[in-house]
Amino acid sequence: MPTLPNTAQDDAAGRNAASLRALVQSSGLSQVVWCGNELGSQSVETVSSGWTELDKELPGSGWPRRSVTEVLTAQPSVVEWRLLAPGLGPIIEAGGQIVVIGPPRNPHLPGLTHMGLNDRQLVWIKADVPSERLWTTEQLIKSNSAGAIIAWLPKARPDQLRRLQVCSQGCEAPVFLCRPEVAQHESSAAPLRVQASAGLDWELNVQILKRRGPQQGHSLVLASVPGGLASVLTPRLRRPSSLITPEVPHVVGRPATAFRPAYVAA
Amino acid sequence: MLWVALLLPSGPHTSPLDDQLRGLSMYALQYSPRTAIVENAVVVELEASIRLFGGKRTLRDRIVAEVHALGVEQVAWSSTSLAALACARGGHENGIKGALTTLLDPLPMETLAAVKPHLTTLTQLGCRTLGDIRALPRGGISRRFDKQLLTALDQAYGLRPEAHNWVEAPEVFKARLELMSRVDSAPALLFGARRLLLQMCGWLAARNAGTTSFCLRWVHDAMRARDAGDGGELTVRTAEPMRDVEHLCRLLAEHLAKVELAAPAGDLELEALDVHPLEELSRSLLPDPVQAGESLTLVLERVAARLGAEKVVRPVVVEDHRLEWMAQWQPAPEPLPRKRARSSRFPQPSFILSEPLRLSMRGDKPMYQGVLQLLAGPHRVEGGWWQRLDNGGEEYTGNVARDYWVAQSPHCGVLWVFQQRLAGDQTAWYLHGAFA
Repeated sequence: MPTLPNTAQDDAAGRNAASLRALVQSSGLSQVVWCGNELGSQSVETVSSGWTELDKELPGSGWPRRSVTEVLTAQPSVVEWRLLAPGLGPIIEAGGQIVVIGPPRNPHLPGLTHMGLNDRQLVWIKADVPSERLWTTEQLIKSNSAGAIIAWLPKARPDQLRRLQVCSQGCEAPVFLCRPEVAQHESSAAPLRVQASAGLDWELNVQILKRRGPQQGHSLVLASVPGGLASVLTPRLRRPSSLITPEVPHVVGRPATAFRPAYVAA
Repeated sequence: MLWVALLLPSGPHTSPLDDQLRGLSMYALQYSPRTAIVENAVVVELEASIRLFGGKRTLRDRIVAEVHALGVEQVAWSSTSLAALACARGGHENGIKGALTTLLDPLPMETLAAVKPHLTTLTQLGCRTLGDIRALPRGGISRRFDKQLLTALDQAYGLRPEAHNWVEAPEVFKARLELMSRVDSAPALLFGARRLLLQMCGWLAARNAGTTSFCLRWVHDAMRARDAGDGGELTVRTAEPMRDVEHLCRLLAEHLAKVELAAPAGDLELEALDVHPLEELSRSLLPDPVQAGESLTLVLERVAARLGAEKVVRPVVVEDHRLEWMAQWQPAPEPLPRKRARSSRFPQPSFILSEPLRLSMRGDKPMYQGVLQLLAGPHRVEGGWWQRLDNGGEEYTGNVARDYWVAQSPHCGVLWVFQQRLAGDQTAWYLHGAFA
């Protein structure tokens, strides 16, 4: 009978946790004691991510300063700006410079202006070799002079990331390292790892893989229409998933989905 | 009065070169304009500069740390210049603690240069130290020896005022350094170059200026191969007037790392090409919270020095409808145009491909990692016939006639694709950007 002792243990653990919480709150230690099932929020300097739903899930409600943040995507240059741009707005207004290191495709400023960036506050460093990217990122982090740093580091090793994380403790700017999705199986020194992908209906699916706090149960769905497209979308286009028909083999050069007899489905 | 004496190494029969002394005095000018060259050494009067440099202890630590790179053998402090010099020659650094007489009396008498002509006579009289000479009757010294001995003695002990010919900063800076040994690789030149940079920064500080470009030249030694030439030069430019030794040194290191010497180098020469007045920020009582590290301009300059100037770029928006010419990128230090271009209110992708990528087709639908679903369009971009482009001698116009569409790919988000007419009735689809 394995269930009975387990339930007893769970009850005991629950009672212990409750009494511990009461003790912590009564003694005024709630500022310094962090329970593992709560979001870590103490003494984390953050900058708001621009997404209300995401801010609720992030420790300190925002992207952290003084540490690196990993953004994992299945393919590079698919969702990065859509995810990060809303958080860059306040930094740009404060006069911070956005430094982009080694993006896999060329940044296109007219599109970025729709997201709030401007031509005076963007620097693109075309570092192609992995060692150059790492060196440049480290130099910028150490100098603590940029408003935000976004670096694409597809081939960084865990020890190199640890080095960047150690350096970034003196850097007030948020540092985003964009890496491929397969990197989620490697260990990483970054305290915050976020996986992002684009959904079909103008949305971003964001899953927080690692944070200071409990594991995130479900992935977030953030509504996002990129690059000024909001002005040209018709109501029909707001749900593109309804337009996409499942692929079926051609029947006499034409999709055979329209008139499918009832007996086939049955 | 607080005097510091900087003594260069010299043997019994050799004295430091004039170049070395001048270089050292250029360096010392940043601390005080009351700098003089006395008896093959540089003496500086620092009393008025103590507060500017953060107190005696800080000033001392800074000077001692920096002058070793300039080849100074001994530093000594005292309240008169000759006493400081005597202390330096006697190997005492601190000549300000206690009375001057108790400090100077035990020093060997050769430490005062005015003693040298009479060294034999004085030795035969039984004198060993400065105190011994001072114990002799004054009348006898002035009669038996010359006037300079007594004057120097009085000046060293602070009984008579000293007069100096102050060193003046020249209008242009050009310094030369003979390397101690032949240098085979360019990065190793940095050791000698740092010495020259220290001098240049001292000179710049004395003139309240900063440099925006300087030139390092090296001269190959006489044993070079015939085709190696006389030497080479490297001009380093900075974005803003600058006289920070560390930054200039790092910048030079990045540039030197790319240089290959044709032959071993024997001599170095540094010249400040462009000198501009530099306004220094006043120090505040409270630590400045805004800027803790170096400024972004300096970091970008260093990154550009290693990667190449065309790798660190800023955008310039051009009023053009064609995607390729909508934004130009120029090296970061160059000034951006004052007048801003109007921004387009039409949707634009945030990433573009440097070359449009021709898409394969499935039936009449373009494919890019799956069949694309065209969402909005067409957005016609046509024009550019006025622009002549040159591609390796082959001239063509920048004319485009494209129908842009917003397309959705099942795996790679929202894309910006276009359809273009080819020869005949055929059309082709291209991927040009991504709304990422």
